[in-house]
Amino acid sequence: MASSLDELKTAIRKALPGLDVVIAWTAGPDALSHAPLFITEEADVARIEWDPRCSQNLAGYLPGLRGKKAGIVAKGCDVRSIVELLQEKLIDREDVVIFGLDCQGAVDARSARAALGSSRGVRDVAIDGASVCFSVNGEPRFFSPGEVLQSKCFGCAGADAGLCDHFAGERGLPPQFGNPPESTLERLEAMDMEERLRFWETQMSRCIRCYACRSACPLCVCQDHCAAQSREPHWVDQTDHPREKLMFQAIHALHTAGRCTECGECERACPMGLPVMTLKRALNRRIKDVFDYQAGIDPNQTPPLFEFREVETNIKEREW
Amino acid sequence: MNIGVFVCHCGSNIAGTVDTEAVAKAALEYREVVFATDAMYACSEPGQAGIVEAIGTYALDGVVVASCTPRMHEATFRRTLERAGLNRYMFEMANIREHVSWVGKDKAANTRKAAELVHMAVEKLRRNERLQAGEFDIAKRVMVIGGGVAGIQAALDCADGGLEVVLVEREPSIGGKMSKLDKTFPTVDCSSCILGPKMVDVAQHPNITLYALSEVDSVDGFVGNFNVTVRRKAAYVDWDACTGCGECAAKCPSKKTPDRFNEFIGLTTAINIPFPQAIPKKASINANACIKLTKGKCGACAKVCPTGAIRFDQKDELVTEKVGAIIAATGYDLFDFTKYGEYGGGRYPDVITAMQYERLLSASGPTEGHIRRPSDGAEPRDIVFIQCVGSRDKSIGRPYCTGFCCMYTAKQTILTKDHMPDSQSYVFYMDIRSPGKNYDEFTRRAMEEYGAKYIRGRVSAIQPKNGRYLVKGADTLLGRQVEIEADLVVLAVGAEAARGAGELAEKLRISYDPYGFFLEGHPKLKPVETNTAGVYLAGSCQGPKDIPSSVAQGGAAAAKALSLLSKDKLASDPQVSGVKLARCIGCGKCESVCPFGAIEMIEFRGMPKASIIETVCQGCGVCTAACPQGAAQLRHFTDNQILAEVNALCL
Repeated sequence: MASSLDELKTAIRKALPGLDVVIAWTAGPDALSHAPLFITEEADVARIEWDPRCSQNLAGYLPGLRGKKAGIVAKGCDVRSIVELLQEKLIDREDVVIFGLDCQGAVDARSARAALGSSRGVRDVAIDGASVCFSVNGEPRFFSPGEVLQSKCFGCAGADAGLCDHFAGERGLPPQFGNPPESTLERLEAMDMEERLRFWETQMSRCIRCYACRSACPLCVCQDHCAAQSREPHWVDQTDHPREKLMFQAIHALHTAGRCTECGECERACPMGLPVMTLKRALNRRIKDVFDYQAGIDPNQTPPLFEFREVETNIKEREW
Repeated sequence: MNIGVFVCHCGSNIAGTVDTEAVAKAALEYREVVFATDAMYACSEPGQAGIVEAIGTYALDGVVVASCTPRMHEATFRRTLERAGLNRYMFEMANIREHVSWVGKDKAANTRKAAELVHMAVEKLRRNERLQAGEFDIAKRVMVIGGGVAGIQAALDCADGGLEVVLVEREPSIGGKMSKLDKTFPTVDCSSCILGPKMVDVAQHPNITLYALSEVDSVDGFVGNFNVTVRRKAAYVDWDACTGCGECAAKCPSKKTPDRFNEFIGLTTAINIPFPQAIPKKASINANACIKLTKGKCGACAKVCPTGAIRFDQKDELVTEKVGAIIAATGYDLFDFTKYGEYGGGRYPDVITAMQYERLLSASGPTEGHIRRPSDGAEPRDIVFIQCVGSRDKSIGRPYCTGFCCMYTAKQTILTKDHMPDSQSYVFYMDIRSPGKNYDEFTRRAMEEYGAKYIRGRVSAIQPKNGRYLVKGADTLLGRQVEIEADLVVLAVGAEAARGAGELAEKLRISYDPYGFFLEGHPKLKPVETNTAGVYLAGSCQGPKDIPSSVAQGGAAAAKALSLLSKDKLASDPQVSGVKLARCIGCGKCESVCPFGAIEMIEFRGMPKASIIETVCQGCGVCTAACPQGAAQLRHFTDNQILAEVNALCL
């Protein structure tokens, strides 16, 4: 990755004079996940980090920077969020410069911390084929990808270099990890309705309503006008009950149906480790069935729930 | 807020399976309900008087009526409230008839459900606002789609009533199916003699613009302000120049063109005027048959045309007409009998449809009114008529009765005898359906005076035999098989929805049934209205109809359009969407989902915001579902009103 990083830094240095800001990653307070870095001066370029700890999807910062010329460093999955923002005209293509990267997997800080026992002393992380190597105080510790990587990496489609303005590294083939670990969605689908409700009641009773999931979501465009905190309309009340908390998750899932690229920011941000992306994945599956559509692929498409067609190809209304 | 609740018995319709008194008692427990009672018929004069009185006595400022569907009486009760001095939108209806008493038999469960529906209505009403209707200008013009007898009647009545009328007809001439008929039942008067003058009236009426050979391309707008784009198909003839002299047809060398007007039993020329009484009497070219248009050579018509009207380079033209109301009168098409193998599936030349037979009977038809077999031109002697071909047959997806075939078959047997006194008609029928003025007498005359032999039963097979046809069937009254040798077999093909009816319904945004017939607003009380304001129905497009009924509906639809457009302005429905600018983040999702183009993006203090064009908004609510932060709200159906109803039910 060292050469990719040098390539990236060179590209950013070259582009920086024409940009107001470039968003990248740098070493943060947590040794298992790098923090965002907003580069406005060339001196900052040296601080850029690029390794499997660059888990955060930085695309969510773009709508807030609208009107400015912004560069963004993006993994293949992050680019899908950018595509979605472009589709919805929440950002302007001519104002955004995408620095694409060839990613081989991103660490899930929570499970990595659990596997390692602590994040202290982690100096480096490398992915080598079937194993992930953490260098802890100079000692290598090996784990299987299923133990320490983000679950989305197992469905990685690679990077579409064509959508990027610059691309560092080999061009975008997805990593091969073999069988993915069982997902929450698969576990839920094996349950009956009663069990599913109990599952969510248990999960949601732990929710502290911090709305980090919403704030982290790159597609949550409402932010300060979120239906969760509004009285007019009054969709969610303040009762401390799983019902209201699940209601918010349902609203979030519906608002992102057919838009959510399953970047995983909601779950990554959740301090309670709740599987809140599961609802979005379930809806996306329906969107795929009904509209044959996947979010974040083609900047020129419109998400199916954002257009009105008198006749839908796969909904045979007249044959009901 | 003081809310009054009125629970209607609807005679025994509701009270039979709902304890209305208990529902009223339960309603008294709901928040802000100060008065609740049950009433025998809430919609009746004394029922409404009771509501008015209670509004005064209990100082009510909102009313819930638990009764039938709002489709039935919402307007009635809103007027009641207005009479009592309340705003018409301070009213809610709980449907405890269609949604409760008619669908459930368990009285205890029904009563509980009725009470819950009333609870929901009360909670919604508590959040209702006093909405005020605005006003908008209207176009005092009507478009009539379809120039058959129903459309002609509608167009003439509207035009006589002072409205400007645009009549759109798909074929080169108006007249529709009736213009193809020889005689009409039950008086056996000449069809073109009674229709012809009406057609001429259409051509000459100063208020009528006729677009023949034209189809509706798209419909925008709403009641009072429709914009209809009409595709005027290329006739390859400049109709302003064409005098209808017919020189072109006389010289056209392409003489073997299938004749649509004559139901393909005769031949015509590539350029033609479909029939002598055609309106407009203008020539048009069949592009598939024209030698010049298919092979690039010929042009004989252009050489002989005295006014130089031929335009081989003519293209379809789109014209947009602004109208306040639309009357759909698109009629019907004939069932394709070739689906039936037992009648030869179209392989036997002398097994023809009743409409083809009608053209044989007609003096202006291909045989000049002499009955001749299509195969050899011989005069038939024994003629078998088979009824219900494509009617009342579930197996081919046509379970309905076309309704007029019994009558036209009887007429055709009478005409057959008139034309050929030595002939013998046989009619295979299922039941005789002749419930009209002088109709049953007419069918009896066919049997008793004209000697048509009626055989109650179906035909199982038609087989060629020595140049004739052996018709095998059952006589179910005598309980035996019958075989009749016939020279000609006439099939009473049923009616089906006109080709393209479904597509037109989608453009007009009106409902249609599984067969493609347009759905009336109410099967009894709104027979010519649709559920789309300003769109009316006339004739067979709503369901198969004979001429008297079609004419009556044409007149009825015209009366509806005239009364709608008698006002100078229409009241706009305030139940439309509105955007709270403070909440709107200008993401534009509402704009992209709006089916009516009723949302525009504006700039407000430098920020993009959505704005509703209230006269265009139809209140469908799609934007409110798309708006993630709930900035777009449908008035009278806000998120909070719906949530209050859900909470009343679920919490």
